[in-house]
Amino acid sequence: MKQNRREFLIKTGCALSMTALATQMRHFGLVSAYAQKADDAKTEPGFVPSDYRALVCVFMSGGNDGNNVVIPNHSDGTLSNYGVYSAARNTQGLAIPQANLLPITVPRMGNLTYGLHPALGPQTPATNIVNNGIHELWAAGKMAIVTNVGTLTAPMTRAQYQNGSVAKPFQLFSHSDQVSQYQGGRSDVESLTGWGGRISDLRTLPDNPSGLVPMITSISGAQLFTSGQTTLPLAIANAGTSLAGVLNPQGYNATAASQARLAAFNSLRGIDLSSSVVAAASHVTDSAMQANAALQTFNEVTVTFPTTSIGLQLKQVARLIKTRTSLGVNRQIFYVQLGGFDTHNGQIATQNTLLVQLSQAMRAFYDEMLAQGIADKVTQFTMADFSRTFNPAGTGTGVVGTDHAWANHHFVVGGGITASDFYGVNTTNGTPFPTLTMNGPDDADSGSTARGRWIPTTSIEQYAATLSRWYGLPDANLVNVFPKIANFPNTNLGFMQPPAP
Amino acid sequence: MISRRSCLFFKLLSIGVAVLLAALPVLAQETDPDPDSPVPVILSEPDSTRALTVSPAKLVRGGRQKTPAKAFAPDQRVVLYVTNLALMKDEGANAFRVYAEDAKGHRYRFPVLDFYPINEVTGVYALIFRLHDEAGFWEPPTPDGDLLINLTWRGLASNRVRVGYGQIGGTVKDDEGAVPTPLYGTPTGQTAAPPTKDTIGYRWSGDRIRFLEQATFGPTVDLDNRLRRIGLRTWLAEQFEAPYPSAAFPYPDIDLRPTNPISDCDNANGDDVPATCFRDHYTMYPVQTWFYKEALYGTSQLRHRVAWALAQLWVISGVDTQQSSHMIAYHKILSQHAFGNWRNLMFDMTLNPGMGNYLDMARSTRTNPNENYPREILQLFNVGLFMLNPDGTLQLDGQNNPIPTYDQTTINNFTKVFTGWSFCQTPASCPSFVSGTVNYKDPMLLVQANHDTTAKTLLSYPNAVSQNIPAGQNGLTDLNQALDNIYNHPNVAPFVSKFLIQQMVTSDPTPAYVGRVAAVFNANRTSPTQMKEVVKAILLDPEARGNVKTDANYGKLREPVQLMTNVFRQVGVTSADGLTQSDGNVNRFPQALLQDAFRAPTVFNYYPPNYIVPGSSLLGPEFAIFTTGTSIGRANFANSMCFGQIAVALPDSPNGTKINFAELQALAAADTTSNQLLDVLNQRMMHGAMSAQMRSTILTAVNAVASTSPLTRAQTAVYLVLTSSQYQVQR
Repeated sequence: MKQNRREFLIKTGCALSMTALATQMRHFGLVSAYAQKADDAKTEPGFVPSDYRALVCVFMSGGNDGNNVVIPNHSDGTLSNYGVYSAARNTQGLAIPQANLLPITVPRMGNLTYGLHPALGPQTPATNIVNNGIHELWAAGKMAIVTNVGTLTAPMTRAQYQNGSVAKPFQLFSHSDQVSQYQGGRSDVESLTGWGGRISDLRTLPDNPSGLVPMITSISGAQLFTSGQTTLPLAIANAGTSLAGVLNPQGYNATAASQARLAAFNSLRGIDLSSSVVAAASHVTDSAMQANAALQTFNEVTVTFPTTSIGLQLKQVARLIKTRTSLGVNRQIFYVQLGGFDTHNGQIATQNTLLVQLSQAMRAFYDEMLAQGIADKVTQFTMADFSRTFNPAGTGTGVVGTDHAWANHHFVVGGGITASDFYGVNTTNGTPFPTLTMNGPDDADSGSTARGRWIPTTSIEQYAATLSRWYGLPDANLVNVFPKIANFPNTNLGFMQPPAP
Repeated sequence: MISRRSCLFFKLLSIGVAVLLAALPVLAQETDPDPDSPVPVILSEPDSTRALTVSPAKLVRGGRQKTPAKAFAPDQRVVLYVTNLALMKDEGANAFRVYAEDAKGHRYRFPVLDFYPINEVTGVYALIFRLHDEAGFWEPPTPDGDLLINLTWRGLASNRVRVGYGQIGGTVKDDEGAVPTPLYGTPTGQTAAPPTKDTIGYRWSGDRIRFLEQATFGPTVDLDNRLRRIGLRTWLAEQFEAPYPSAAFPYPDIDLRPTNPISDCDNANGDDVPATCFRDHYTMYPVQTWFYKEALYGTSQLRHRVAWALAQLWVISGVDTQQSSHMIAYHKILSQHAFGNWRNLMFDMTLNPGMGNYLDMARSTRTNPNENYPREILQLFNVGLFMLNPDGTLQLDGQNNPIPTYDQTTINNFTKVFTGWSFCQTPASCPSFVSGTVNYKDPMLLVQANHDTTAKTLLSYPNAVSQNIPAGQNGLTDLNQALDNIYNHPNVAPFVSKFLIQQMVTSDPTPAYVGRVAAVFNANRTSPTQMKEVVKAILLDPEARGNVKTDANYGKLREPVQLMTNVFRQVGVTSADGLTQSDGNVNRFPQALLQDAFRAPTVFNYYPPNYIVPGSSLLGPEFAIFTTGTSIGRANFANSMCFGQIAVALPDSPNGTKINFAELQALAAADTTSNQLLDVLNQRMMHGAMSAQMRSTILTAVNAVASTSPLTRAQTAVYLVLTSSQYQVQR
């Protein structure tokens, strides 16, 4: 690792002062010390993973209304069917017509048909419509849906919710807190680090011993998900900027004066570090300059991505993945985000627009991974603040929206899933899909004003642990990443294939 | 032209005089009191840096000077003896923080439990802390040897002493140059630091620049001179009365337009009348350019700065509502109440139509209630999620858990309160009403039929005001009672105080500082000038004041807007041709650095007030938008404006913008050693706190540029200061 970094520093003339370098080395030394605690074979000296794996978190910021994304498309009287859904949402103009639903057959539901939001399928040709969307991936066996997932401190029945005998996640229904629990991987207390960052803390040294960039990358700024104790994520702009340009300080040339300025720019970061605030800022820039050196040559993708924000974010991820060999990484975690899902009003149009963007971008990314020959090594999965109330807010097609709720449905896309199906812990109706009844058995609300906020049966931890295990996190380390995982009996929901040997 | 040149000549002359005066001993003109607090000293054993752990009272009585070294167990209470303090009335344990570092270089923070004077020895205090990390970032330290311990007070760090943890000894190294600080031989009273040859500028010049960084959009030479003449208090008094906006930059008067632009104002087909119609009515351009002009050149800096801070608390966003008219009406409320009464701000903001649209209150009715505004007025704007002590620290229950301030039931009840209000759309009672548009100017109106008149149970707290609102009341009565209920919640004072301190002074203020400001907030609850007193308390607090701060955690990363406006004002900013003022079309830089002014991505602002810096336990809100990407983006901003400019480009940049280097160029030309250039930048940009190493590093690079290119030398020097973390952190 030392040699590689030095080579890059020399190659780019990026002369870090010895102090700055020492700061970084100390930083890596901490990673090493922490990782050595793990007692699994995968942390034995000399272990290097034999294949590549990547997790791509697609965050639907604002809280996506899952009730309008995965919809019963059957008339089975023993479960909530389309009629039940329609009755609750049609009057206010929020129900999606049954004819427009994109059907999926769900083995876990006795092969009943469910329907996806029409935005997830083919669209009328237009700008940024570049493929048929992700609905097709269900039939292809490349998309799983984990249902009724949410923040929990421990499994919780409706009675326990009402009598307070099981601790509720702190500040249910509040954006910032629910985001922090999804990304932090625990719901009992506020987390200072994210679960992606903690995996990176543990796995950087054993998995990416020659890595020239951090294990974890955000294309959407600083996020709790990507923060670890020792992990500072790579955070870069989307594919609107080339990888060679994302971290390249502009305005330098080969003249002696310019090189002297560059030398000073770099050495200033190695002094006056007695201020923790100054040191923290310098550390971020150091990390950027180091990654910049490694990103100067990169591989372009071949599939057409939409030029939406989420499309360009996933395209940048695809470029990084295609450049993985020269970046020296075997394991990577990525974070991308699409905002605007906080649809208190005008949901019909807004959610449709956003879901089209999401579907087009995720499909393009899947196709690109297929083209790169690693579709089974890269898994996209969605998260969101929360789902939204089953009971609409407001009325009328242009107006109607929904308020903050709880359990949601999430997509997992890639060749690494086991089969297209619903996954998760059963609700009171004996299936993992909630009963769509306000003040019903799965509603956290009660009484005549109940809005339909489903109590999750599957926790974030169970969802994330299943993904993490496939990624290569040893079982022994699950508790390091998900401190409350022991509260949940099943840490493998079965939607992912076994981890790499 | 001629008059401009002579103006420049006088400016240069005055700098020459300033430099000359700086070299003279301090003259008797200084009337402001010393802003520096003394630097606290932890007493040690006479012959080592090991903390004294036997009461000095015993030493005085017994005459014993040496005590056996002692190790402490995890969780044990330890007493430190501290001297060289000048305490204010009621200043106690929560004014201090105790930090430790172990041999691994991990830093911990230990809770301070008690603090009291030692009666027998004047000027010496006992400080009791527990050996139990409260930062919670690292695993607890291993009890296998000495920890280096220091304390901080008012942004100043004491010496570091050894405390045996588990056992004596170990591998932790003393600080370079550390000496014993025994009871006898250590100053116990306040002593002014003697002037040294490194002192730059006037006696309190560092403090003045620091004050201007906190109270304005950046220090200027003129403001600094004025402060030196009239002092901080008089300047504050002037600012509280200054007309706002400045006479030269009135609020843009933007007429109301339909939500969906009509064809002559839709930025399509080239048929808009005038061509800038869409830009001026459906984008934030007019608001942003006005905002930056006031920030760069306005004379009512303090109100502008406080209003900007408030805009990052009571957030609305042009991302959501395109019509720029709404942002002006909203900003008028912020600036009107910036020195006014918080309760009045709460009322006007609640009925502001921009807020009503952004957080959906304008559509919330009895039959279709919306929780958005009710939740955020509690969580984000006033109360927060957990019960606070008067000093802003978390209250804990018996199990050491924080205590929620409210639950979903409370939200549901507040939701009922806020139903029934909608945009002011009737000609008779809405002076700004224009048919076919949403009225974003006049306060929202109550439609009583849409108001939920059932009884409500609101926030519960000791001696709660209006906790129970009876059924059947008018919506306005309900609203006022609910706002009283919120305003009287004990969290509001520390919540608002801490937020404003973080915006203006430092990211992680001591509880004592928060408590002092919160007490002023509470003491002025019914005063129409409550916030004036609060702002004054923030800026004149000893934790804010002083020439240099040495606490490792003190200060804040400059947000992109402040980074840009500060360097512009410190060096000087003009139109591209240097003849007039910038047109204010400079938002492209903060936007690229994730602070798109008046277009926050969400109601959570550009960055959250409780953001913890990755890889540390440091509270640093602005770090949330300081990533690998934006850290280089900041360097690219420096490159763009130091070595380039924003050229004139019609219609959006009629004047263009540049950093005007004329003055620094002249300095670089006059002194080819570049020492004067560095002196001036040190004083203006680094308030005299540039380290010798930083100075020599920059000097080397500057002098690598040929002396025949003084402009490039000046640009290089400013670029390097501007891109340094030392500058990017306001300390």
